[in-house]
Amino acid sequence: MSRRLPFLLAALLVMWGQTAHGQSAYDVALPVELTSSPDLCTYAPCRDVMPGAERFSLRKGRPAYVEAFGPGEADAAPLLGYVFLSTDIVDIPAYSGKPVVTLIGMDTAGTIVGTRILKHSEPILLVGIPEAQLTRFVNQFIGKRAWDKVEIGRARDAAAIGVDGISGATVTVIAQNQVMMRSAYQVARQVGIVQTEPRAPAVFVDDGARQDWAGLVREGSVQRLRVTAADVGETSRDPIIDIHFGYLNAPAVGRSVLGDAAWTRLMERLGPDEHAIFLIASGRESFKGSGFVRGGIYDRVQVAQDVDTYTFRDRDYLNLYGIEAPGAPAFSESAIFIVRGASFSGAYPWSLVFLANTVDRATGQRTFTSFDQEYWLAAKYLEGGRPQVATPEAAWVTIWRNRAPEIAIFVTLLVGIAVAQTVRDRLTRASSRQNHWPVESIKYVGWAVSIGFVGFHLMAQPSITQVLTWFHGVVFDWNWELFLSEPFVFIFWVFILITVFIWGRGLFCGWLCPFGSLSEMLHKIGGVIGLGRFQFKLPMKWHDRLKWVKYAVFLGLLVVSFFSMTLAETLAEVEPFKTTFLVGIWNRSWPFALFATGLLGLSLFIERPFCKYLCPLGASLAMPSTFRWIGLRRKPACNSCAACAVRCGSQAIDADGRIDHRECLLCLECMILYTDAHTCPPLVVERKRREKAGLPLTPIGADGHYIPLTAVASGPAAVWPVKPKSNVDPRMQTDPVEPAWERQPSIVRRAMAELRHHFWPIGEGRRWSAHAIAVAALAGAGVVLALAIARVIPPVSVLGAALLLSFWEARARMASLRFVKEGPWWKHQYRAARPMDMLSYVGFKNLMIGALVFLTLKALGLLVL
Amino acid sequence: MSTEQGGNRADTAERTTTTGRRQFLGAAGLAGVVGAGLATFGAAGCRREPESQATAGADPHVKPGELDTYYGLWSGGHTGDLRVLGMPSGREIHRVPCFVPDPLVGWGITNESKAIMGTNPDGSLKYTVGDTHHTHASYRDGNYDGRYAWINDKINCRIARIRLDTFTCDKITELPNVQGFHGIFPDKADPVDPAINYTTRVFCGSEFSTPLPNDGRGMNDASAYRSLFTCVDAESMEVRWQVLIDGNCDLVATSFDGKLAATNQYNTEMGVTFADMMSAERDRCAFFHIERIEAAVAAGRTRTYGDSKVPVVDGTIAANGDPATALVAYVSVPKNPHGVNASPDGKYFICSGKLSPTATVIDLSRVLEWFGGTREDIDSSIVAEVEIGLGPLHTAFDGRGNAYTTLFLDSQIVKWNVDAAIRFHAGDQSVAYVVDRLDVHYQPGHINASQSETKAADGQWLAVGCKFSKDRFLPAGPLHPENEQLIDIRGERMVLVAEHPVRPEPHDFIIFKRELLTPKQVYQLSDFPLALASGEDAGVTRSGNRVTVKIASVAPVFSPSEFTVRRGDVVTVIMTNFDTVEDLTHGFAIEKYNINFIVNPQETKSVTFRADRTGVYWYYCTHFCHALHLEMRGRMIVEG
Repeated sequence: MSRRLPFLLAALLVMWGQTAHGQSAYDVALPVELTSSPDLCTYAPCRDVMPGAERFSLRKGRPAYVEAFGPGEADAAPLLGYVFLSTDIVDIPAYSGKPVVTLIGMDTAGTIVGTRILKHSEPILLVGIPEAQLTRFVNQFIGKRAWDKVEIGRARDAAAIGVDGISGATVTVIAQNQVMMRSAYQVARQVGIVQTEPRAPAVFVDDGARQDWAGLVREGSVQRLRVTAADVGETSRDPIIDIHFGYLNAPAVGRSVLGDAAWTRLMERLGPDEHAIFLIASGRESFKGSGFVRGGIYDRVQVAQDVDTYTFRDRDYLNLYGIEAPGAPAFSESAIFIVRGASFSGAYPWSLVFLANTVDRATGQRTFTSFDQEYWLAAKYLEGGRPQVATPEAAWVTIWRNRAPEIAIFVTLLVGIAVAQTVRDRLTRASSRQNHWPVESIKYVGWAVSIGFVGFHLMAQPSITQVLTWFHGVVFDWNWELFLSEPFVFIFWVFILITVFIWGRGLFCGWLCPFGSLSEMLHKIGGVIGLGRFQFKLPMKWHDRLKWVKYAVFLGLLVVSFFSMTLAETLAEVEPFKTTFLVGIWNRSWPFALFATGLLGLSLFIERPFCKYLCPLGASLAMPSTFRWIGLRRKPACNSCAACAVRCGSQAIDADGRIDHRECLLCLECMILYTDAHTCPPLVVERKRREKAGLPLTPIGADGHYIPLTAVASGPAAVWPVKPKSNVDPRMQTDPVEPAWERQPSIVRRAMAELRHHFWPIGEGRRWSAHAIAVAALAGAGVVLALAIARVIPPVSVLGAALLLSFWEARARMASLRFVKEGPWWKHQYRAARPMDMLSYVGFKNLMIGALVFLTLKALGLLVL
Repeated sequence: MSTEQGGNRADTAERTTTTGRRQFLGAAGLAGVVGAGLATFGAAGCRREPESQATAGADPHVKPGELDTYYGLWSGGHTGDLRVLGMPSGREIHRVPCFVPDPLVGWGITNESKAIMGTNPDGSLKYTVGDTHHTHASYRDGNYDGRYAWINDKINCRIARIRLDTFTCDKITELPNVQGFHGIFPDKADPVDPAINYTTRVFCGSEFSTPLPNDGRGMNDASAYRSLFTCVDAESMEVRWQVLIDGNCDLVATSFDGKLAATNQYNTEMGVTFADMMSAERDRCAFFHIERIEAAVAAGRTRTYGDSKVPVVDGTIAANGDPATALVAYVSVPKNPHGVNASPDGKYFICSGKLSPTATVIDLSRVLEWFGGTREDIDSSIVAEVEIGLGPLHTAFDGRGNAYTTLFLDSQIVKWNVDAAIRFHAGDQSVAYVVDRLDVHYQPGHINASQSETKAADGQWLAVGCKFSKDRFLPAGPLHPENEQLIDIRGERMVLVAEHPVRPEPHDFIIFKRELLTPKQVYQLSDFPLALASGEDAGVTRSGNRVTVKIASVAPVFSPSEFTVRRGDVVTVIMTNFDTVEDLTHGFAIEKYNINFIVNPQETKSVTFRADRTGVYWYYCTHFCHALHLEMRGRMIVEG
C-alpha cells in the first residue's frame, strides 16, 4: 500500500494537470504569422509566460525576442523582461524530428518566469505518455536562470541543477532541456544579462608526430570514462561501459588515432567551427543506444563545455574504422562525433557526459544520472600553451564563501550558547527564583536569533528527514558534497551531534531549535499578555503516556523510509517546520497551515506541545541523550521534594525527583533552585539552621549544599528533616548496578568483559538455549545481509533486519543484562535499565557498530550495495 | 528399432563424419605441406593436391555490430545493375540501378531517372535491359579516390557513372558506332600534365565489329567490319574520341603514369563465326599512346562515322607502321586472350591466354621504348609467356609480386610469381614461378584481390567469381546462382574461407578499403532544383491540362493528404522529403497507376503521368518510415 500511495498521488496530479491545461498542443496548426510577423505577441500568448505584462514590443534582435513592459505610459512602463519563441533561436528537433515550439518568458534578471508549449509533434506523447508530463517537465524550468546548468535527472555536480525527466521520452526531454536553456542563454547574452567572453579557438601545434596508445593516455590526449554497475544502483562492480575518448582536431591526437591519411580526410570534411571527437567503448551498455534511430539524436552521450552542451544527431556521427595507435584496447563500439558550434574551443577544457539510467535502491525508481570525464588538450599541442581558465571551485566552497558573514553569526550563536552551557553553574548561581535573567537573557537572545535569523532567514531548521537521509546514507551513498552544500544545516548538525553527547538534546531543543524556541516563546508571551491563567500542564499521568508518541512517530517514519523515502518525506510533514519557516504559513494549503497554526496557538496554553509529544526529531535525539556525559545535578533529598518538579516546564522530573534526560530541555530552572538558598527546601533548612546558630553561610558546593564548616563531613542528609519517601537516589537515573566483572582486579579482563557485554546480549550463566536463540538471531541478520549483497532482496532490508535485531536484543538484554552505562562512556558507572534506556542503548550502540562496519567495508571496497 | 535410438545413431554418424573429415583434412594438410615442398623443387606447373586448403584462413565472419573492412563494387551482369558488397563478409549492402528500371527506388519511373536513362520522343524509356560486366572506380595518386565508379552495358553500349557519395547513377552515355561494349578502365593520371594525378578519362573496349557506319551498307562484307576503341571524359561523360583499330577490343587496362591504355584482342581474325575467331594461333594486345592520340585529335587528323560527331583517329596497323608516329602498338599474344591487367608496381600488363594455357607479361617500359623508336620489335616487350594452366582468364595481384589467375577449365586459381616467371622465360628453367594452386567451385571467371589494381594492393583477400555453382547450394530449380568464393591470400598458400550464392550474373568487381569513401548521410534540399522550399509550398497548381502536385512528406504524413485532378490531366507529382533523420526514407506509390519511387531524407523526386481513369486512387508510403507508416497515405481524386 505504502508504495502505491505516491503513484496514486502522482496520477491525481497528472489528471489535474491535464484538466488545468486543457487544449492539447499535439500537432496543432499554428498561424504562419507566429513565426513571421514582427508582432509576435499578437499571435502568441505572451502574457501567459510573463505575469503582469501589459504591453510587448515588436520582435527585435538576432535571434529575435520581444520586450515585455508592465503597466504605465509608453515611456514610463517598466521593462519586466523578455519573451521569445524557441524556434526563433534554436533549431533542435525533438524525438519526432520536429521542434517543440515553446514560448518562454524571462525577467530582466535572467530568471525564467513562464513557459508554454505551443506545439509539439512528439508521437510518444500521443501514444502513451500524457501530454501533461511534458507541461510538467517544462514548468520545472520556471525559476531557473539563463546561465544555470540544468541536467536531466540527478545533477552530476553541485554546480548543476537536476530536473526530473519523463521516463520513456528521453530524447524529448533532452532536446527540450537544450531548447529551454539555450534559448534563454542566447537571449540573456544578447540583452546583456550574461556577459561572456568567447573562448578563443585553439591553434594547434602540428609537427606530424604520432604517439602510441600508452603515450596518448599518459599525456591525457585520451581520457577514460568508466561507469560501473554499482554507479547505477546495481551490485556488481563490473563496468557497464568503459569509454576512451579524445579530441581529433588536435593533429598529434588525430594523426595518432586515425593515421595520417584518414585524419587528413576527416579534417577536410570538417567545416569551420566543427570539431571531431572519437569514442571507443566496451561493456554491456551502448553509448549509442537506439534513440537516434528514429529521433536522430544520440541520447546517451553529450559534450559539455561550461554551460554549453552539445548533443549529437545521426548526421554528426561518422564511422570510426579503427585505432591506428598501437596498443589500443579492444572495443565493441566506436564513433566519431562532430561537435558543431562556434562557441566550442578545443583549447579549453570540456567534458564527455554519459547519461545512464540509475535505479534508486531506496525507492526502486529509475532516474537519469550523468557521468562525466573532463578532457583538456595537453599544453604542448596548443600554440602558446593552455589558456588561463578559472577553475570553478567546488560549489559548496562558493556557497560557504558567499555566506561567510552569516556563517560567522551562526557559529557565534552556537559557540555562545555552548559556552553559556559550559558555564551554566555560574549562570544558575547568579540567578535565583526571583531573578532568572542571567540564564534567561542568554536564552532569549538565543531564541530570538534562532527564530528570526536561523529559522526565517537562513531556513536552517533541522529536520527528521535529514536523520532519515543519514540512515540511508550510511548504507547507500554518503555524499559529503551534498551535506556541505547546505552550510547552516551542516554546521548545525555537527553542533547537535557534539552537544547531544555532552549535554543531551536539551541544548539544541531547548535553546536553539527555531520551532521549539518559537513555541516556547509564544508560551512565555502568552503568560505575559495575561493568558497565564489559561496556561496549564497535562497531568503527569497523561504526560507520561503521551511523551511516547513522539518515539512512535520517529520509529514509524524510520520504518516507512525503508520502503519509500518519498513517502517518509511526505509523512515528515508532521513537522510543521516546512510550513513555518521554509514556505511560510500563508503560502501553504490550508491543512498544513492549520496544523502549524494550531500547534503554535496551542503553545500559548501548553508549553511546547509539539516538542513534548510529537517531534520525531526530538525523539531521535532523545535516545542518545540517555547517555549524555554531563547531567544536571540532584541532591539526595530531592526524592522527597517536588519544588523543582513543579517548576519543570518539560515535566521531566518524576515523583522520586529524578530527571529524565530524554525529556529535559535544559531550561536550567532546577539548577537555579539547586543553589538558591531561599528556595531549595534542603538549602533553606540549612540556611535557617546556620542563621539561627549564628554560623557563617559558607559557599554552596557542587553537591548543592553549603560547604560544611568542618573538614569532617557530617553528612548533609542529616540536616534535612523530612523523611525520604523512598530509598531512591535521585542523583541517579535509576538504581546503580555493579556488573560482576567490575570486581575483577585486572583492567584487561574488565575491558574484555565490557566488550563482551556490548557485543553479546545474553548474560553469563544463562541457559544454552538463550545463547542459541542469540546465535540464530545473528545468523538470521547475517543471511539478510548476504541476500542483500547478492541482490536477492533490496539492500534496505538490511536496515529493517538491523532494526528487528535491535528490538530483539533489547528484549534479550532485559532478561539477563538489565543495566546500562551511565554518563561518560569511559567511566564505569552502571545503572538499572528501563525499557527505553535499553532500547536507546541497543539502538545507539548498534547504529554505531553498523555505521563503522559499513563504512569500513565500503572504504575497503568490499561492499557494494 | 525405436526412433530414439535412430536419433542417437544419426548423431553418432554425424559426429563420426565430422571427426573423420577433420582427420582427413589434417592428413591432407600435412600432405599439402609436403606437396608445397616438392613444388618448390619441382617443375613449373606442378599441380598441388586439391585438398591442400586445410590450413585455417582468416575468419571472414563479421559479427553483429561490426563493420566490414572493405567495400566491394560488383557488376550485376544482365540484371543490369551495380551491386555494393561489404567484404570480407560478402553481404550485399545495396544495389544501384543504372541501365534498367528498378521499382524500389523508382529508377526509370521518376522524371529525373528517366532523363538520365534516356527516353524516346513519347517519354518512354529508350532501353530497359542492360548487361553490366566491368566496373572500376576513379583514381587519384594510384589509389581510389571515392568520387565515381563507371560501369558498362554490353547490350546497348552505354556507360554509366555512379557517384560514390550517394551511390546513385548520375550520367549515362551511349557510345556511338560500337557493339558489344565490354571492358572499361579509367585512366590513373594524365599522360602530359603531372598535376592531373587523377582520373579524367574512361576507356571503353567493344567486342563486336560492325560495318562503319552501321547504316545498312556493307553488311555482307565481314572483312570490312571494324571496331572502335572509345575514350569518354570522366567529368562531362561526353565521348572524347575513338580509335579505329584492326581486330576487336575486349577488356581494358591503363598504366599508372597515364601514358598507355591497352585492350586485349581475341578476334584479330575479324571472324564472324566461331571457327573463324579461333583460327589464328596468336591474337593481340593493342596499346594506345594517349598523348599522341589526343595530339592527333587536336590536329584534326580525324574522321567521323554516320551521325556521330565523335572524332575518330586511325589506329589500324597499316596506318601505324612507323613507331615514331604510331598511335597504336599491337603486341602479339597467344590464342584468344582474355583479360589484360595492370600490375600494382606499374611495370607490367598481363594478358591471359584463354585458349592457350599461358600468361603473357608485357613490360610497359619496353612498349614505350617501341613508341620512342628505341626498340625494334614490339613483341620483344613480352618479358614472360609462361604456362600456368588451362583456360587462364583474369589476373589479380597481392602487391608482393604475385599474380593470381583464374583457370576456367581447370576450375582453379593459380598463384604465380611475376618476377620468377620473367626469369623462367629468360631461360632459367629451374625457377618455379607457380607458388600455389587452389580448387574453386567451379569454372572461375573474374578474380580480384583487395586493392588489387592500385598502388596500395594489400594482399589480404581474393574474391573469385565462379561461373558455375552446380552442387554448392540448395537447388532452387534449373537456374543456379553464381558462386562467389573468398580466399585468404595473406600467407604463402591460398585458403578458401567462404562462398556465397549470388544472383546471376556478376562479372568483374573491385574491392577497396572502406576508409576511401565518405558517403553522404542525407541529401541537401538545395541539391534538387524542384525541391519544395518548405511544407507551405505543398499544393496543386494547374496550367491548362498540366497539373503540378507538390507534396511534402514528413513522417508519418503527406501534405497535402489529398488532391483532385480531372481525367485526362497530365499530372506531375513533385515530392520533397522534409525529414532530416538519417535513414528516414519515404516511398510514394499510387494505386492502379503503376507508380512507385522512394524519396530519401531531404531529397526531391518527381513523376509525370496521365490521369486517365476517374475515381479515388490512394497514394501511400511504401518505404517503412514510422509507427504510423500504414496511416501515411492520401487520396488522388480523379474527376470525370
